[in-house]
Amino acid sequence: MKRPATLQFGLVLGLGLWLLGTAAAEDGIQITIKDHRFSPSEVRVKADTKIKLIVTNDDQTAEEFESSSLNRERVVRAGQSITIFLPPLKLGSYDFYGDFHPDTAQGKIIAE
Amino acid sequence: MVGTFIITWRETIEAALIVGILLTYLNKIGQSNQFRFVYWGALGGVLASLVFAGLSDYLSVFFQDIGEDIFETVILFLATVVLTHMVIWMHHNAREIKGALQHEAELAITKNRLWALGTLAFVGVFREGVETVLFLWGLFLQSGGTPFAAPPVIGGLLGIGLGVLMTWLFFKGFGHLDLRPFFRVSGIILLFMAAGMLSSGIGKLVAVGLVPPLVEPIWNTSWFLSERSFLGSLVAGIFGYRSSPSLVQALFYLLYFPITLIWLRRQRHDFAQ
Repeated sequence: MKRPATLQFGLVLGLGLWLLGTAAAEDGIQITIKDHRFSPSEVRVKADTKIKLIVTNDDQTAEEFESSSLNRERVVRAGQSITIFLPPLKLGSYDFYGDFHPDTAQGKIIAE
Repeated sequence: MVGTFIITWRETIEAALIVGILLTYLNKIGQSNQFRFVYWGALGGVLASLVFAGLSDYLSVFFQDIGEDIFETVILFLATVVLTHMVIWMHHNAREIKGALQHEAELAITKNRLWALGTLAFVGVFREGVETVLFLWGLFLQSGGTPFAAPPVIGGLLGIGLGVLMTWLFFKGFGHLDLRPFFRVSGIILLFMAAGMLSSGIGKLVAVGLVPPLVEPIWNTSWFLSERSFLGSLVAGIFGYRSSPSLVQALFYLLYFPITLIWLRRQRHDFAQ
């Protein structure tokens, strides 16, 4: 009876992942990657408020959104979007960059 | 060219470290004829990385936005469990062998354990592989008509080569250690890696909003070691170092050790019987 159980588990897991994916709402701060640059490269947000970033990669190549001060690191595949949740930020400036093109892909979030 | 060289070099060292420990360990317990399980695992990891990176469009339909992060988290948690189990088993074996007898000892190794070794090699490579493939593929696309003549691509490939060579030399030197000191060093490295994988997995769940960070960040040590420096990125990749971690990540990292020690004690009991 082991196999049907595994199959069921797989199906439930797959369905769960799909639902979780579709459940993500569309509002949030949009950041677009184009020609290995972020636009806007400077994002102003309210301090002490939860933030949702939606990072869209319009390039033909993958990029990795990375920020050590924000403790976030996620790959964005070519032509796709990811959602990043950030905790309420204290006043200040937080750098982020594209780990695959760190020379050009740079930006910061300013909490004010 | 230097930038791409450093990225692939770093990723390769991270992946090759696990494979190197497994091979050296097998060698030390007189089971070098079982290397193929590790090689297969590592090769499987490379192939899976290629497939996973190549199926970009197809996967996005299935995974949607955060599905891929959840999948990676599951892999990380699985790796934590297998890695911990291996360390406990290696620890048990190291206790069995009394110094001088080591070279004569051929410890029996069951099929189950060999599969666990293969799985670890697979996960160790796959974990870094997808990112490396996506990165290198990007370089290929950007290089226009002549990818193999483009400096960034050459840099990336050289990075992989040097990473493998360095790890190989490292274990050549390491190989002269006796089993017990070798185990002590590699066991500690593996346990910190496992704790890092656990906390990285939790970090992914925090980033996609499924787990509350509790407090984030709880401290900031980037003045001391930043993930943007080469050393910092290496320590981050191998031991899960974060300069600004969330409380929930730090808790999982720190709680991993006492829980593993308790597990270790209980297993020692089981093995002894």
